[in-house]
Amino acid sequence: MHSPHWITQQGHHFLGVPHLSGKSVDPIFPNLFRYAFELNVDIELAEACCDEASRMGLTTKMMRNPNFRVDYGTITTLHMIRPQWDIPVVGISANNSPYYLTTEEGLEEMDVLGKATLNAIESTGRRAVLLASNTLCHLHFSEEPVPPEDMAQEHPHDYAGYLWDMRMIDLLRQGKIQEVFRLLPQFIDEAFAEVKSGAFTWMFSAMGYPEIPGELHGYGTVIGTGNAVMEWNLIKSGLAQEAAGAAL
Amino acid sequence: MTVVSSFLVPGSPLPLVARHNPPWTELAQAFERAGEALAASKPDTIVVYSTQWIAVLDQLWQARPHLRDIHVDENWHEYGDLQFDITIDVEFAEAAIAATNDTGIKSKGVNYDKFPIDTGTIVASTMLNPANKLPLAITSNNVYHDWSMTESLGRIAADQAATLGRRIAVVGVGGLSGSYFRHDIDIAEDRIASESEDQWNRKILSLMEQGDLAALREQCPTYAAEARVDMGFKHFAFLLGAMGGTFSCAVVHGYGPLYGAGGAVVEFKR
Repeated sequence: MHSPHWITQQGHHFLGVPHLSGKSVDPIFPNLFRYAFELNVDIELAEACCDEASRMGLTTKMMRNPNFRVDYGTITTLHMIRPQWDIPVVGISANNSPYYLTTEEGLEEMDVLGKATLNAIESTGRRAVLLASNTLCHLHFSEEPVPPEDMAQEHPHDYAGYLWDMRMIDLLRQGKIQEVFRLLPQFIDEAFAEVKSGAFTWMFSAMGYPEIPGELHGYGTVIGTGNAVMEWNLIKSGLAQEAAGAAL
Repeated sequence: MTVVSSFLVPGSPLPLVARHNPPWTELAQAFERAGEALAASKPDTIVVYSTQWIAVLDQLWQARPHLRDIHVDENWHEYGDLQFDITIDVEFAEAAIAATNDTGIKSKGVNYDKFPIDTGTIVASTMLNPANKLPLAITSNNVYHDWSMTESLGRIAADQAATLGRRIAVVGVGGLSGSYFRHDIDIAEDRIASESEDQWNRKILSLMEQGDLAALREQCPTYAAEARVDMGFKHFAFLLGAMGGTFSCAVVHGYGPLYGAGGAVVEFKR
């Protein structure tokens, strides 16, 4: 799980405490999101990712403080996709290299981080799900409507951003991944896309940039930003095997 | 006089959590001198603007009467917990929210258990206001607010102090130059990462010492861009607004590196 809301400056950090719990209150939507979380960390895999990324030249760090408050991006994504919270997690920070360096330099780091993640998954023998938390176009409204649930106020911030999202989603659904990554810097620049923060590149790097169609489960806006829920199923595509004993 | 003292301080936790490290000791000691000056000014309330309290929807003011918890910095978690115990001047916050809205800047209070208090606010509160002797009014850095709007917010804070009859100390929490070391360093050898940014920082601090407002106003936009200054140096804009756009001179209690970035503790004199 790579989240844009755990921002680090010195390296790529990994949750490194076996069990983390607490209450997360969203700093942007405290009126809407107050969540008591409790999660288990796959320490062995986290350490393997950290070590491998370090071996491949990235600055890395394990987060060992038991009082650490897990960021709301990680919590929201995990809750929405697996509310049972029964699968151990590797939480990865968003090093701000795409913002501090150039976009291209930063995303190169995320590419390395993805390759390191893949190596760590394979070396530990894990079956893993990769979760990338990123919006697409990211220009948004700066005032909250009253009430905030008033969906009459919810729409894309601007048409150009919406068109960019549709273009990228279309390419992703067609499995034209090389074209997506060719366009990515331009998309980021013109639509202020949050994929700049790295999770999207990390995820595709860890999958090996497969030219397989993504399944769009839904698209919508949040305070004007573009959000898609998409899945790349490597089992269906024949790039990964079913778990032993799994029902077809 | 409602604004009785004004300070610019860094929001990095390093001088607080690792003051024994020589490059950070000077800033820790500077904080202590600033804290003494702040106490001597006998404020009723400390008004804090922190670049690290990031807002993107509306201008936020902390409205919970008492904040007491542990915070772990997102980047410097290995240095341990940051404990805080902060009392909020709720009457001031409510007045500021109303006044901010009146000026056309949409504003609201936040009053939630476990609302994340940013590292910069905690560092400033702990270092300048030990033992939580004075109440605080804390406001956010809306990233879409520019220099002028942020200066207006400072002015609003000062106006509310006048209306309520408060003596306030104003604290702008944020860094100077923004280039930092991205890799592990020997922290005992910490230094400003960029020589040109170091020169910029020293130039701006010198102008502050001289009270050269005209030069500061002219230079700050270029400084912010060329030295990658934390959040465009808006914490200084907030201070300027609160001080009515003027001060006579400043005392630089300390200046130093914070993992390559620049930080200074500055006291402004009216």
